[in-house]
Amino acid sequence: MRVQLFITCMIDSLFPQIGEAVFEVLSLAGVEIHFPTDQTCCGQPTYNAGYRDHAKKLAKRTIEILARSDDPVVIPSGSCAVMIRKEFLELFREDPPWQLRAQELASRTYELSEFLVDVLSHTEFQASFDGRIAYHPSCHLLRGLGVHSQPLDLLKHVEGAEVTSLSPDCCGFGGVFAIDHDEISSEMMNRKLDAIESSGADAVAGADVSCLMQIEGGLRRRGSSIRCSHIAQILTMKEPGLR
Amino acid sequence: MRRQFLKRAHEALANPTLQKALDQNAERRESGRVRAFSTLQNPEHTLNEAAHIRRQTIDNLESYLAQFIKHAQDNGIQVHGPLSAHAAALAAAEIAKEHNARLIVKSKSMVSEEIELNQKLEAAGMRVVETDLGEFIVQLRGEAPGHIITPAIHLLREDVAKTFTSELNVPHSTDVAEMTETARRVMRKDFLTADVGITGVNFGVAETGTVCIVTNEANGRMVTTIPPVHIALMGVERLVPSLENLAVLLQVLPRSATGQNLTSYVSLIQRPRAGSEADGAEERHLILVDNGRLAMHRSQLQDALLCLRCGACLNACPVFREIGGHTYGSAYPGPIGSLVSPGLFGIKEYGHLSKASTLCGACTEVCPAGIDFTKMLLRTRGEYVKSAPQPAWLRAGMPLFTWMMASPGRYRRVQSFAAFFLRFLPNRGGWLYRLPPPLSGWTKSRDFPPLAAEPFHARFHRLKSTGKGSYKVDKKHQEIQTQEDEPLQGDLIVRFQEELERVDGEFVHCSSKELPHKVADFLASIEANQILGWGEQSREFNSITNHLRETGIQILEAEIPRSEDGITRYETLVGLDQAAAGLTTCLAGLADTGTVILPSGEGQSNLTSLLPRTHLVILRAKDIYPTFDHWIRAGGREAIASSSQLTLITGPSRTADVEMILTLGVHGPERLFVFTID
Repeated sequence: MRVQLFITCMIDSLFPQIGEAVFEVLSLAGVEIHFPTDQTCCGQPTYNAGYRDHAKKLAKRTIEILARSDDPVVIPSGSCAVMIRKEFLELFREDPPWQLRAQELASRTYELSEFLVDVLSHTEFQASFDGRIAYHPSCHLLRGLGVHSQPLDLLKHVEGAEVTSLSPDCCGFGGVFAIDHDEISSEMMNRKLDAIESSGADAVAGADVSCLMQIEGGLRRRGSSIRCSHIAQILTMKEPGLR
Repeated sequence: MRRQFLKRAHEALANPTLQKALDQNAERRESGRVRAFSTLQNPEHTLNEAAHIRRQTIDNLESYLAQFIKHAQDNGIQVHGPLSAHAAALAAAEIAKEHNARLIVKSKSMVSEEIELNQKLEAAGMRVVETDLGEFIVQLRGEAPGHIITPAIHLLREDVAKTFTSELNVPHSTDVAEMTETARRVMRKDFLTADVGITGVNFGVAETGTVCIVTNEANGRMVTTIPPVHIALMGVERLVPSLENLAVLLQVLPRSATGQNLTSYVSLIQRPRAGSEADGAEERHLILVDNGRLAMHRSQLQDALLCLRCGACLNACPVFREIGGHTYGSAYPGPIGSLVSPGLFGIKEYGHLSKASTLCGACTEVCPAGIDFTKMLLRTRGEYVKSAPQPAWLRAGMPLFTWMMASPGRYRRVQSFAAFFLRFLPNRGGWLYRLPPPLSGWTKSRDFPPLAAEPFHARFHRLKSTGKGSYKVDKKHQEIQTQEDEPLQGDLIVRFQEELERVDGEFVHCSSKELPHKVADFLASIEANQILGWGEQSREFNSITNHLRETGIQILEAEIPRSEDGITRYETLVGLDQAAAGLTTCLAGLADTGTVILPSGEGQSNLTSLLPRTHLVILRAKDIYPTFDHWIRAGGREAIASSSQLTLITGPSRTADVEMILTLGVHGPERLFVFTID
């Protein structure tokens, strides 16, 4: 099977190593990877900020690029996957032709862990981790896509890892919210960081780099030695830490 | 508005009392909600049904509203409106003035907060007493409610004790039961002397014109039973098509709101007091409040009208948990407020609230009405951006971002350019700890990763796809199958007892022969020599009253004198208020909630189950039904239609308004005995 990889602008520009790990994971799972090189951003930042006309521009671009082939689209991010799978439909609700195209794309779009477990039934990557991993169920992945057991399933197959799930409370990221409501965002983050520190975790794993960036940014500021990893990094045994 | 919001948020975050109170609220409410839903046979099915009913109601709002108005009028209720906020408050004031009202008692009504009713009535020279304990406390403090269900959420018991000492002139006590007792004593006099009672409405039943009010403390019952005039305020969307639908919504509202299977009291008000009836308001008015709702119904925020006002979204919201209700600057705080406030009161003034969310979806997850908050908040943001000036960095940044991302070449050039410059910013372990505005908000509490010198798209060509494509797509998103509701299993009496005792009611199972002695023994144990009792009822009931009279107990049949004679009215009420217990029968028991259903009418006063500290009910085992829905279908419909005010009683009167500490006997009985006979 061939898949199209939508890497997300955050991984592309901030965490390219995660992109490499994702590539490795998909290769290990036996799929052929196509990376449309003109992809940029799905438009979520503008959409969430209320700038729908701008979001439509980027959404149309994304649809066009990913419609060149009918291969499944795999995205290593819960929130970008929600954007493409659900929010594009809302964005084009008064534009039936585009909504139809969005619908077609949505029907073959998957978040990475969901794709590995539900589509490929591939959970064994011969990875090992010596220590405790706290899994952060990110909001868009959990409540937006209903994906919870899949990433845990993948982590539980990592040899030597003791896996616990953190509470499903939001980490406080929320995109622009983290900047224009920074005090509230920080307080929400502090609860999450307290929970992580008291869990005795050696690393925090998740499937959304935006949340992990918030969490690791906070942990680093606190002087904590705990680091975050995208699930793909754990499965490919990369040193904990987003970069 | 936005700036004030952020300022209040800043203060709220720095207020340790508030933080402690909000944490308590979030943790206890959520666990209570989860527990309460677990008692349903098939919670998911019930929730889907509830959401479907709300959707159907809102889809056909105008026709249900017309039906409801017609039936309520046929029942003798005087209907006003739909009206704007100003006109609704004016209408209430006019009615009160017509009756020369000096004292008005109110049970909790968010719509009255919305239309600022108290201020208007007070300006007209009337005294208004909020009788819900939480509302009473915030009224004494001159504050607005901090939560739509738990008005005094922001206070700890020390705060309440101080307020009581200074405002009510009572000795300082932080004992919640003692404070509740003080409130009972202070407000009892107001209930007995009030000229007008004002309530909100939880549901208006379109097919019957029934007004449904749920309360826990029994203040709602007091307010609709004792004062000669009752004014009910109702948002036009608070409708439910049928009694069967009401039964479903009553399964989800209290569970979502307070983690109760059912609130202590559900009043089903059909009409004003009729000729020979013992009590109840002689005049009932219903003021329908539009105040932007019908316009919202035509807008893309229509779904916000699905709301039941349960407050579950507030309890689940991680932002509300940090900043509390007052920060929102609206009668409706939290996620639902962030939709309703911009929708009703203006997108320009309140649109910024839609941005005070991480779109985490915790609200959507708990909403029993099926509101997709994320979708609605995002629509509100879309409107807000068009209607109000945005911060400069967003105004400039968003088009710039789109312009950049619209072309891969531009994106790459900007990316590498910015990555180059960020290298010169100070870093710690490779992450940046100080960024210039507007990103400085981020680095106040978090480090930020620098942009990659070599982004993924530049590395991709080095990676080799080794996959052979040996897997096949076989999965589509699985459909969740809803199971059919199974009939309630097990012995109804056992379940009834279990549920009654869970809500602190007391259960006695005996033969009809033993019954008179059991009741007499109990009354002797509390040294009661005077009780309230219903008039002639059944053979069993009369055998009890005869036996009690023989043992020297005086049984008063409560009846409120008509409003024409004000003096004897108050004296009579004070006299009735001395009785130690009230003895009634009931129409039915409900096994799934431990509820008894009481009618009202000739010889069947509401006061009997309301004024005394102890309420004794006689229930025939054969009258126990599995659920409210079963009862409605088995004759309950007719009983509701023929009773001017019918009450579902589930345990004694209760409150948890102070620090969520459960206290019994706020305004109504603190003990409820159900004598069940075979």
